[in-house]
Amino acid sequence: MSTIPFRRLVAVETRKLFDTRSGQVMAVILIVLTVALIAGRGLTAGPRLGMLIGTAGIGFGTLLPVLGILTVTGEWSHRTALTTFTLEPRRSRVLLAKCLPPLLVTVAACLFAILVAVPVTAVVAGVREAPADWAVDPRALLGWTAGCVLVVAMGLALGLLLQNAPAAIVICLSSTMAWSAIGRLGATGETLAAWLDLGTTTAPLTAGALTGDQAARLAVSVLCWIIVPMVAGVVRAIRKDVA
Amino acid sequence: MIEFSHVSKTYRGVRALDDVSFTVEPGCVTGFLGPNGAGKSTALRVLSGLSRPTAGSATVLGRPYAELDCPAYHVGSLLDAGAQHPGRTGREVLTLGAMVLGLPRSRVGEVLDRVGLTGKESRRRIAGYSLGMRQRLGIGHALLGRPRVLILDEPANGLDPQGIRWMRGLLREMAAAGCSVLLSSHLLHEVEQVADRIVMIGRGRVLTEGTVAELNQGRSLEQTFLELTADADRSAA
Repeated sequence: MSTIPFRRLVAVETRKLFDTRSGQVMAVILIVLTVALIAGRGLTAGPRLGMLIGTAGIGFGTLLPVLGILTVTGEWSHRTALTTFTLEPRRSRVLLAKCLPPLLVTVAACLFAILVAVPVTAVVAGVREAPADWAVDPRALLGWTAGCVLVVAMGLALGLLLQNAPAAIVICLSSTMAWSAIGRLGATGETLAAWLDLGTTTAPLTAGALTGDQAARLAVSVLCWIIVPMVAGVVRAIRKDVA
Repeated sequence: MIEFSHVSKTYRGVRALDDVSFTVEPGCVTGFLGPNGAGKSTALRVLSGLSRPTAGSATVLGRPYAELDCPAYHVGSLLDAGAQHPGRTGREVLTLGAMVLGLPRSRVGEVLDRVGLTGKESRRRIAGYSLGMRQRLGIGHALLGRPRVLILDEPANGLDPQGIRWMRGLLREMAAAGCSVLLSSHLLHEVEQVADRIVMIGRGRVLTEGTVAELNQGRSLEQTFLELTADADRSAA
């Protein structure tokens, strides 16, 4: 009997995402909200596929990071870390296995948004007798998906670092507001926001084109909000005495 | 086989464990007895690799817990019956454990039968479980991997008299089958009735250890327990 395979840990963590009532409620809200947002926007703003897909991102930007935060902080808030880490004492493997499902769910949610947006575009075009605009840049679609994944990764990183769901959720969701305030603090604030605000630095991704300078800014903000807190969080969890 | 060797643990300047050494042999139940706050849970967390000792080492089957290959196949532990996600069902908790260990799903049903949880109870959410039911679930989880070593922290808390008798029988059976069983409790009578050996702890130090008969020599175990723990309290005050 050798070690526990990593894919088994990922399968278990994926199951944990949806095996509680709160997890199931999140999943239902995510599906209903995606359909409602896309259908509502389609009916009011017209049958433009690219715009309709992007509409789903409004819901994803808040719900998916929260799902990620709840996943990585749940073991501490419910004290199930006692059981989880006795089954697999190599905590970094468990934490890594915990981060993957929310990221995969994000990719799945983006695909789902596309799948919903296509028939909505067709139906709205039929109902309003307006010509459907099917033009979508595949690179922009990929960039948009990557942007959603990065925002969820930021939630995961903050959750891992703080080990406290309310704190991580507040910081994650209020960062947009905070950055728009910082951006107005003169030239320094503007520069800070341009290099560190994940919302600003991922914008070129969503547009489907990334210059060298923009890529550098994206890398700096990813390092600051995802990589550094994630590594620090994993180190903190490994060294922690589980009580 | 469990071995504590000169284990000390200091939390923020407080000495929770002070040079703790003792062994738990296969084929017997060892009671880990001490008043609340004596350091029992800390010792069991150090043993299970959840907490790092400041000095010394604790091993299971000759190795530190975290270095065992898939430890839950060798060691079953129940460290806190209350530490469960209230939104999961009992069956789901066992299913997750069986998945991690790569056991067939049929093992979940076997374990539920073993700990006396009915199918209907197992499909209820843990939020509605009594402490006794949580203890049974936790013991079931510990038994999943058919371990040779059992570590149970206050497993009798919340059990009704039938439940306590059931658990006593289970621990005796496990010991008779050659398992090493370490059972912590602050209740003297509970330990006295099931344990072969007792390790008494107070204020983080091992006060005395021996077979129940040895500790009963001359005076009652209760007297010994009260005197020793009172001394430990006074010396710390």
